[in-house]
Formats: sequence, C-alpha cells, structure tokens
Amino acid sequence: MTWTCEQTELLLTDYLDGLLQPDQQRAFDVHVNGCERCTPLVASVTHAITGLRALPELELPPRFVYNVLDATLGPRETVTGWAAVRVWVRGIASPRFAYGSLSVAATFLMLVTASGFNWKKPKLADLSPTTIYRNTNRQAHMAYARGTKYVSDLRVVYEIQSRLRQENELPTNQEGMPDNSPQKEPGRTDGTSPSTPRQQNRANDVSSHLQVLAEELPILSGRFCFVLLEGRPR
Amino acid sequence: MEQDAQLVQQCLQGDGSAWEELVRQHSRRVFNICYRFTGNRTEAEDLAQDVFLRIYRTLGSYRSVHGGFATWMTSVTRNLLIDHYRRTKRDRITDSLDDAMPVVENKHSSARRPDEQALLGELSNQVQSALTKLSPELREAVILRDLQQLEYSEIQTVLSVPEGTVKSRINRGRIELARILQQMGVRPS
Repeated sequence: MTWTCEQTELLLTDYLDGLLQPDQQRAFDVHVNGCERCTPLVASVTHAITGLRALPELELPPRFVYNVLDATLGPRETVTGWAAVRVWVRGIASPRFAYGSLSVAATFLMLVTASGFNWKKPKLADLSPTTIYRNTNRQAHMAYARGTKYVSDLRVVYEIQSRLRQENELPTNQEGMPDNSPQKEPGRTDGTSPSTPRQQNRANDVSSHLQVLAEELPILSGRFCFVLLEGRPR
Repeated sequence: MEQDAQLVQQCLQGDGSAWEELVRQHSRRVFNICYRFTGNRTEAEDLAQDVFLRIYRTLGSYRSVHGGFATWMTSVTRNLLIDHYRRTKRDRITDSLDDAMPVVENKHSSARRPDEQALLGELSNQVQSALTKLSPELREAVILRDLQQLEYSEIQTVLSVPEGTVKSRINRGRIELARILQQMGVRPS
C-alpha cells in the first residue's frame, strides 16, 4: 500500500487513537519512519497531546457551589446551635484540611517539646516567644556540649585501650628477669597477671583510670568497661 | 447516569438537596471546561455559574433518552461558551494587538494569581496559552476529546455535527496546536 504525506496528515488522529486498519497502520509506520516531513509532524502532535492530557484539573473556587445554590434556590436559612457546628465540621472535613492540620500540629508539638516545655507541669509563661527562644537556644547548646563530651570521652577510652594493648604486647623479658614458669612460653604474657612489679604498677594505674572513667560515663560502665578491666566478657 | 436522571426527577419535584447534589457532582467539570476554553479564571467562574443557572431554568427540557445528563450539561456549557465567545469577539480583536509580544510575558499570564502560577507548570501554561489561540470550533473539539476524554459519539451529540466533522476538527485542532506550540519554542525532547 502506498502512503502519502497528505494521508498522514488526514488520518493522524485515527492513527493516534488506534483506529486505523492493520494494513493502514503498517503503511503509515513505514511512510512516517522514512519521511522527513511526517516524522516531526507526528512527534510534535504526540507531544502536544501529551501536554494537553497533563494539564491539571483545577480546584473549584471557594464558595462556588454555595453561590450557585444561592442564585438558584435562594439564600439559605441561617442555622444556629449544633446544626451550625455540624455544617461547619462538614465544611472542613476534607482530607486536605486534615493533613494540613496534622502537619501544623506535629510541627508545633516538635517546636514546643524542643524548647524544653514541661508537659507534666505546663505553665503559660513557658509559651512566651522569649522563653521559647531562650529554652531552645539552651537546649541546642546543651545538646552540642553533650555530643562534644561524648566524643571526647570515647577518644580517651580508645586511647587508654590502645595503650593497654601496647603494654600487653611488650615482651616480658624486657622488663627484667625472664619468666621460667612451665605454663608460659618465653617472651609472652597472658595479659591477666603482670609478672614484674613495674608491670603490676602500670596495670593498677590503668585499672584505676578505667574505674574513674566508668563512674563518669554510665553508658560505658557496663559490658564495655568490664571487657577492658577483666580482659573478656563474662 | 441513572442516578443523575433520578436526581433530575427529584429536582423537578422541588427537591433542593437533589439539585445541590447535581451541582456538587458536576461543578468541577463544568468549571474546568470553561477555564480551558477561556484561559481566564474569573471569566470561567462567571460562565460556570451561568451554566448552572441555565440548567436550573431548562431542567425540564432534559430527556434521558437523548443521552446522559453529563453530555447534556456539556452541550449547554458549550453553547454558552460559544455565545460568550461571539459576544466578546470585539474585545479580543483589541487584545490581539498584544499577541505580538512573547506568550510567556503576555498580560494574561502576568495577571494570574500567584497560586495559579504555582499550580500550572511552565509547559501547562504554554499549552493553555496555545489552546486559547485555536479557533473556537477546533478548541472545543480538542478540549472535549483530549481533556474531557469524551467518545466521538458524545462529542457528536454535544457539537451537533456529524462524526466525520468531529474527527476532522479534532485532527486539525491537534495539528494546529502542535504548530502553535512549535512557534512558541515548545518542541518535543
């Protein structure tokens, strides 16, 4: 089947809507793929349709429905009491309003909590902007100071641990008399019982440092310090 | 469709809540058709309101055997839009002097509210601008087919023209729209 550019233009909508017969469809494809004029035409029209279909559906202007109802049915009767509350609740009962309210409430809660507000003993004075600013500022500084102290403490612990490891790796024969006990090989220690007075003193020093550190750092006073002090977990 | 016919019957018997239900169900679609045709939010709101006033007055002439209520409502909307187009033709001739300026800087786009600007992306803005440059008969055909996703038979009912004419208008409208977009510098990537 021969196909012309005029046919392409004439039947473009049928092609895009899938209404061509199979032989027409084939002839269309063959022609368009080899035609310098029709290839950009099909591409640009497809692009235009894509743009059209991507146009968003607009929301109605607020009060549009009420304006129409007022113009057709006449002004509504004024409702009071619980009926007015029900109308009001129905008006705001939309997912968009609910999500918006939730996010605002969550943000407010986070800000107030971060400012150090005591929920158990709430005071109106705690909600003044100056107090909120001061408390938030203090909380931020305290969080920064805690973080700095934590990192510093960790560094001390690792330093002590590495020194302890270095001490354990020192051969015992450098400290003085060789250990001739049958259980140990010459030049090695088991890291649990120092063999010389100097080693004993150093181990005592490290142990006392770690005990002080464990008292200062409750988080490390458990299993980790026990490992350092005893050499292995229980 | 049956539900709409039932609501219409209730409206004709004086049931205000049935009318309210009809307005709530169809107002967004009518407003969107008006906005896509005029490209102006305020005009679209006024026109959509006029559509409902006309429907309320002529509700008795609706016959469900002639098609769905939505199709009938679209016909009323279309007729009102064409009337409006003819009425405001003189104003647009004056406005067309501004068309020499780039489209993205024309007075309609700069006069849009910020929330509207945020809602429509740049491409949507350009497509809407291109749409309003189409002749009304091509524009309505393209809007009904590509935006409202109506079948050819429904468009035929709304426009009161043969199906061949419907296809021809949609085809010409799409090609013309692509040409305008290209002139505006919007090309397929």
